[in-house]
Amino acid sequence: METGLKSKALEQFQEVTATLINPSVRQWKDQGGKVIGYFCTHVPDEIFTAAGMLPFRMRATGSDGTELSDAFYSSINCSFPRHCFNMALRGEFDLLDGLIVPNSCDHIRRIYDNWKSQLQTGFVEVFSLPKKTGEPQVGWYRDELLLLRGKLEKHFGVKITDEKLRSAIKLHNENRRLLRRLYEFRKADHPPITGAQVLAVVVAGTAMPRDQYNALLKELLKDLEGAEGIKDYRARIMVVGGILDDPEYIEIIEGQGGLVVTDFLCFGTRLFWVDVPEKGDPIEAIARYQVQLRPTCPRTYGDQPRRIKFIKDMIRDFKVDGVIGERLLFCDPWVVEHYMNDLDLKEAGVPFLKLDREYILSGKGQIRTRVQAFLEMMGR
Amino acid sequence: MIVGGCDIGSATGKAVVMKDGQIISYSIVASTTKPELTSRMAMDEAIAKAGLRSIEDLAYIVGTGYGRLKVPFANENISEITCHGRGAQWMVPSVRTVVDIGGQDCKVMSLNDKGKVLEFVMNDRCAAGTGRFFEAMARVLGLTLGELSELALKGKNPALITSQCSVFAESEVVTLVNEGKELADIVAGLHNSIAGRLNSMVRKVGLVKDVALTGGCAKNAGLAKALSAQLKVDVIKLPHDPQITGAIGAALIAAEKAAERGRAQEAATSTLRGKEA
Repeated sequence: METGLKSKALEQFQEVTATLINPSVRQWKDQGGKVIGYFCTHVPDEIFTAAGMLPFRMRATGSDGTELSDAFYSSINCSFPRHCFNMALRGEFDLLDGLIVPNSCDHIRRIYDNWKSQLQTGFVEVFSLPKKTGEPQVGWYRDELLLLRGKLEKHFGVKITDEKLRSAIKLHNENRRLLRRLYEFRKADHPPITGAQVLAVVVAGTAMPRDQYNALLKELLKDLEGAEGIKDYRARIMVVGGILDDPEYIEIIEGQGGLVVTDFLCFGTRLFWVDVPEKGDPIEAIARYQVQLRPTCPRTYGDQPRRIKFIKDMIRDFKVDGVIGERLLFCDPWVVEHYMNDLDLKEAGVPFLKLDREYILSGKGQIRTRVQAFLEMMGR
Repeated sequence: MIVGGCDIGSATGKAVVMKDGQIISYSIVASTTKPELTSRMAMDEAIAKAGLRSIEDLAYIVGTGYGRLKVPFANENISEITCHGRGAQWMVPSVRTVVDIGGQDCKVMSLNDKGKVLEFVMNDRCAAGTGRFFEAMARVLGLTLGELSELALKGKNPALITSQCSVFAESEVVTLVNEGKELADIVAGLHNSIAGRLNSMVRKVGLVKDVALTGGCAKNAGLAKALSAQLKVDVIKLPHDPQITGAIGAALIAAEKAAERGRAQEAATSTLRGKEA
């Protein structure tokens, strides 16, 4: 799939995504800044920005094995925490000043215990996410936020005022708006940017200072104005799933002619489709955003009807021909979600393909065969 | 019009030559480590058998199978999932479920009445339910594949073999052999365990009659019997060699594409003529 897109900003994003610890993180550290690693989109990264720290979303880009971490996991744990913890044991995350591990799922939750027992990172905390979307859960999330604020202030000797939180929310919301503008381009009959390129853009945003990232994103949006659209695709695909941070995976789908035009991914729309309310108490606003307003991930119980509605709206707005549901092997939340989505999409007459994968890209030929057969099945 | 289908699998390369909707020749050759070479060997043999002079006599060729991207003379490639569906239904129009067992993978497709794939599941991550599994078990038991298949039909009290993993199943077989269990019963047990695996895949896409078994392992009568017993539906017998089903599907699609191309050329010529007039 060819795009005529020439963009220095895009190249920079791609480089950041292809590197575990990119130059802007090192620079931040060199200038005396603190870096906080965190897992999962349901952790409120605004609070780290407000504390003057760099939020760094954890991933294991470049990992090539789990030789050190396997001893800490069982055979039914997924490959994402294995690779992340292996990188940690190799010393790749030594520069982190802190780490927040939420109870996204049992696999991720275990990273906390292992990290505590094996590594010397100064500040390692669990962030306890509620599992439902009701009012008591908003309260729970608010309490967790207040606890985290207190712990951060005490450990790092900083003051996280409401005012700082409000301006962090504004900065992160600007980022969300810019990313939504990026997605607007993908609604076109001939989008000027591929799905693999967009994934690189989104992942980069979780590993760079937000203001720097926003500035670069504006450049990219300018480059996209008037850029030539992609015409040589066979079908428009939406990818639904969890932690997918490797653009090469999307490239394989697109290599078969399935242009990825939108998604429901951790590094995707779930991050930015809705803004955090800018009015009122900022702690309350973040809590309500995280528990009720934003699209949730399948770890949240009872919310699948809202999630499938979101997916169906996307299918309509982005003129999606077929949906690919990706899942890390052994991921429990997504195995159930894909099953329900399959039934719902079948009823709606939307072709759906389930793909299991490992965190590290493997079995390219097998992915190709399935995607090709899927496109042929759709008569494309 | 003469067209060709070329299916390059992990164990064998297959070529089919069709003329006006009829198979005029086919070939099955052992796969080499070079898919280009395997496809050339298979196609050359099929062309010679058809009494054709060269590959130039074929109007259109579709490549399929694991090596489909490396068939140098193919006009295009189509996934083996689509091809097996088409091939099986062309042979027996009532087929709605296809179980394909190849050298290194197995897949189940559900079809509509036009041979179009509605849904599929595929196992290509482990040897369970593939030709490799049977090869490994035959080796452990010192049998040929033909003997393995025949023995499976003779087992009166099939042994219970719970592992579908070829490595673990091998350990179970060794244990049973040392316990003095009848060879035929062990072999029948092995076939039951793989039939169980295939059965669960069939349930995933939904069991709809008729069911066809394709791929090299479809020649294993013991497996067909074990699968029929588990599905409680008789697997139908195909009128051609089940191993060439994918190549037949590829040739059928080639015929369609050639006709499409012909129509497009005709339309272009008539527009040109129209302009000249």
